[in-house]
Amino acid sequence: MASEAIHSGAQADAHSGTHEEAHHELPARVEPDVITSELVASTDSNSTGVRNWMWILGIVTLVGIGVGFAKLLIEWGDQSEWGYTAAMVAFLFSVFGGAPLVAIAPTLAKANWVRPVARFAALCSLASIVCTIWMIPLILNLPMLVVDGARRRSIWFEGPDVSPHMWALVSMITLIIAALGLIYAYAIPDFAAMRDHSTGWKQRFGSWMARGWIGTTIQWRTLRLRIGMMGTLYFFTFVFVHFVISTDFAMSLVPGWRDAIFPMYHAISSIQAGLAVTVLGLWAARRYMGMDKYLHLDQFWSIGRLMFAFTLLWGYFFISAFIVYWYGRSGSDKMWIDYLILGPYFWVFILGVLFIWFTPWWWLIWNRVRRSYNGTAIGAGLILFGVFLDRVRLYVAAWAVPEDRIHERFLTEYPSAVLPDVMDLFIMVGALAGCVFIVLAATRVLPILSIWDVQQFNLLYRPVNYMRTKVSLIGKPD
Amino acid sequence: MSKSVLGLYSDPNQAADAMDALKGAGFPLGTFDVLTGTPYPEGAFGEHVPQHRLFRFPAFGAIIGFTLAIFLTAATQIAYPLVTGGKPILSLFAMLVILYEMSMLSAVISTVVGIVIESRLPNVNPGIYDNRITEGLIGVVITTDDDKSDTAIDALNSAGAMEIKQA
Repeated sequence: MASEAIHSGAQADAHSGTHEEAHHELPARVEPDVITSELVASTDSNSTGVRNWMWILGIVTLVGIGVGFAKLLIEWGDQSEWGYTAAMVAFLFSVFGGAPLVAIAPTLAKANWVRPVARFAALCSLASIVCTIWMIPLILNLPMLVVDGARRRSIWFEGPDVSPHMWALVSMITLIIAALGLIYAYAIPDFAAMRDHSTGWKQRFGSWMARGWIGTTIQWRTLRLRIGMMGTLYFFTFVFVHFVISTDFAMSLVPGWRDAIFPMYHAISSIQAGLAVTVLGLWAARRYMGMDKYLHLDQFWSIGRLMFAFTLLWGYFFISAFIVYWYGRSGSDKMWIDYLILGPYFWVFILGVLFIWFTPWWWLIWNRVRRSYNGTAIGAGLILFGVFLDRVRLYVAAWAVPEDRIHERFLTEYPSAVLPDVMDLFIMVGALAGCVFIVLAATRVLPILSIWDVQQFNLLYRPVNYMRTKVSLIGKPD
Repeated sequence: MSKSVLGLYSDPNQAADAMDALKGAGFPLGTFDVLTGTPYPEGAFGEHVPQHRLFRFPAFGAIIGFTLAIFLTAATQIAYPLVTGGKPILSLFAMLVILYEMSMLSAVISTVVGIVIESRLPNVNPGIYDNRITEGLIGVVITTDDDKSDTAIDALNSAGAMEIKQA
């Protein structure tokens, strides 16, 4: 076991007051039996007041679904009416689908800080089930590949008429399978803990899901392999789904919009949003679920830095796409700028840029902000609002293009801005509530923080004296 | 007749001592193991680290996928010989993407199968166990012949076992 000293903590000597201010308190060690009992108890619906929230979210979700059905009956076939639903699905998929990558990459790199974070980040992927449900009305309203006897532009050159519809569904279902596999791979030791220390149906369920896990050497060894493999599979599928959704549900609906960078822009902003929702989830878990003993500044600081990096990356990807159109100056290039930037959604674009990039950049740039719970959470909130506005600008604009103009070389007359109606608002709030509901419901079955991961965090970490200061000594297993 | 003996320890160092004691008592590697509620760094208890064969699964799968992809791309191009851009009928560059994709797909699928096999789950007969292991206790378990079980118990006790269970 190689060891490494990382950040230092409280200072011992009097003359280093500034240094002390610049660093945070070292996490306190928690005994393994306390971790197990507290985290198992946290799944109790009555323990944290989560039940009331689940009722509210469940009702809002059902109302949203009901309104969605009504909208499907009333506005069937009117593509422009579904822009906000498409934007919300893209937003929720971006936010919750990107979160597991926060768990995957640092886990593969054996970072210690990520251990208490991994479970929540992985659970967020369950929201892809809600996204798939809300994708059904979109699929039903998405134009066929052959419109008025001619094939519209798409990535499915020779595919069947329903290729985008079919592959969108297939790719989302694949993502759900990969997500469930990833969650399960992480969760087997915790199911064993639920089997050993829970009661009633949770104990029976844990026993069944643990599949005879007793924590032997080979079981732990293969667990790591399983997490690595399922994480890689999730990442592959995640990128592919972004490619399919961004091209079929946005780009191919606007005549003349051809952008090779757009799918990657979509995926990068999704990882940015995934980081942000993870921060907000951890912040809520600390504040409302009593997890402050297990979630430290280390986690917020580390994710804050990643969030800052991805915020800057957003600017890079945006300008990489923009500069091609700016210098291209062909009709379709000008159309892209005129319709999606300067056109009817200009203020949405400006606000989007402010919230997704400019404000978080100048907020998260400060170490003091990144090293605080509330500061990081505020940065995360800004980013999420920015990503929402970005998806509204792109998807509402794309779905607003009438189907009878889909064969034009590029748009010459731009549809006016579409505002959300009451049904759109119900659907958007309902879909968001559905995602939060499913993640919260999952935390009633499995602890929101992984028991074995938190135990390993404590196992590999020691606060030690180093000269005149204190540092974290972290074991890094090879 | 074989018997399983489990020694429980609150201190990981004692568990490591128990593993040493079992080795010292002449029990062969592989007959005893350590049970933990969290993954300790491999070799922390001086335990036998069993080898897995997982790497063979993606390699085997990739070879199968690659072979199938060559067959698919070559056969379809020969069956429908369309000259495109003046290039040869069997063009490597046109085949590369399919070769890559099918190799990867087959490697991934076979890896998932490999993980299921190598994980040794479901473990229908988990053997002797204690619920407190998921609360931080360390278990050292040995399966041995009936007549050697007393030696095993002595070895586990010599390291300071807080409790011994037998099955």
